[in-house]
Amino acid sequence: MKIVAYACAVAALVALHATVLSYVSVWGVKPDIGLVAVCLIGLLSGELEGLVVGLFVGWTMSLFSAADLAASMVAKGSVGFLAGLVGRQVAQVTPLVLVSGLVVASTLSSLMTIWSLKPNDQQDIWLMIRTILMPQACFDAVVGGLCYWLIWSRLNLDRLAEGREF
Amino acid sequence: MRMANFRSSYGARRLALGVFLSVLLGFFLLPHQLQTLFQEIGGPVGWVLSWPIRLVASVQGGIGETWGHYVALQDVEEENRQLRKELELLQGQNSQLREAASATDRLTALLEFKSQALPAMTAAQVIGRDTGNWYRTILLNKGSADGIQADMGVVTSAGVVGRVVKTTMATAVVLLVSDPNNAIAGLIQRTRDEGIVEGTTPGLARLKYIPLLSNVRAGDRVVTSGLVGGFPRGLAIGTITTIDKEEGALFQSAELRPEVDVNRVEEVLVIQSPYIPGEDGKSDGPLPKAKP
Repeated sequence: MKIVAYACAVAALVALHATVLSYVSVWGVKPDIGLVAVCLIGLLSGELEGLVVGLFVGWTMSLFSAADLAASMVAKGSVGFLAGLVGRQVAQVTPLVLVSGLVVASTLSSLMTIWSLKPNDQQDIWLMIRTILMPQACFDAVVGGLCYWLIWSRLNLDRLAEGREF
Repeated sequence: MRMANFRSSYGARRLALGVFLSVLLGFFLLPHQLQTLFQEIGGPVGWVLSWPIRLVASVQGGIGETWGHYVALQDVEEENRQLRKELELLQGQNSQLREAASATDRLTALLEFKSQALPAMTAAQVIGRDTGNWYRTILLNKGSADGIQADMGVVTSAGVVGRVVKTTMATAVVLLVSDPNNAIAGLIQRTRDEGIVEGTTPGLARLKYIPLLSNVRAGDRVVTSGLVGGFPRGLAIGTITTIDKEEGALFQSAELRPEVDVNRVEEVLVIQSPYIPGEDGKSDGPLPKAKP
């Protein structure tokens, strides 16, 4: 059941990313909801779920993008796995922990993408960092914080997590 | 605040670590094979996932149409007046161009040039944009099941849009001409100098490797050279806005304003075979990649 729920969520996520999300972009940058979702899943459900969902999200998103398949899968998978590891080390997940974690995760994932793009000169790298990496990290953190607040305060997360099994 | 995931079992953690290391190792040791495998599996998965995208795109299109037809009509009268003026101007230009075309026909007949056949094209609709922020791409509603393959050129009536880079069964990803990772062989229409058109990070395009002795100037039009890639000769790419000539450089380069507004494109044509074999069986240009 959980697998079906995740598959539907990923399908909705990819559709949103490819269509509607470009309308909510700020300075041409849209939030990476896939990364936010993977980070939340890893943080709240553990490394294995974070990793598997991350790999799946990375793979499906790369099918509808020019992004390198391997880089996309490894980036999202790593984020899910690391979020799971961090979730075990942190006693309580506060909004501050989550937002800082998302900034770090988004930055690392973007750096991996820049590395896979192999830009021609340093000017291009700085331009990418200034115009894409930094706004996206902030955007992801804000969206992640909002999602967490919504899930925690409105959907009673503890009760949802009671029956988690993968 | 909520407690973190203490309940992950030791076995699950070990399994996660194992899977993670295997994936990393796999992509380092067999990058090409794994990419091909996932791309192959991605064909049917892409077909399934294309349905929610189509659904959202059609809802989005419906809303846009309603808005365009009923809400955003305030400036139509002014726009209509402008368009009438533009039409008069274009009618004048059209008659001049007809004259030029008939002269070209006569000269072509004199020189016994082969008439160039129109390339085979497929119409497709844009249903989405790139799922990330790092590439400028559009998503088409036709894929490998419709005969679309990687490296095929994509155009509109105004000019070049980009190149197909990835396909699933029902969708195709087109890398736009304004993306820095794209490269198209271009030709300055007036001077006949050739170069490579690449996208730039701010979203324009740049013609590189123009010979130093070329007298290229702002306002010159750049078209496809037809030498390599999926485009026939003569499709509009853009207009030169500024020229960069650095001291001691071997070539000059020029910034282009793309002919097609790639942010607003809705329907496109995919060039499936840009070169039609001539009567003698020889191709007029490089052959397209063979279909599997």
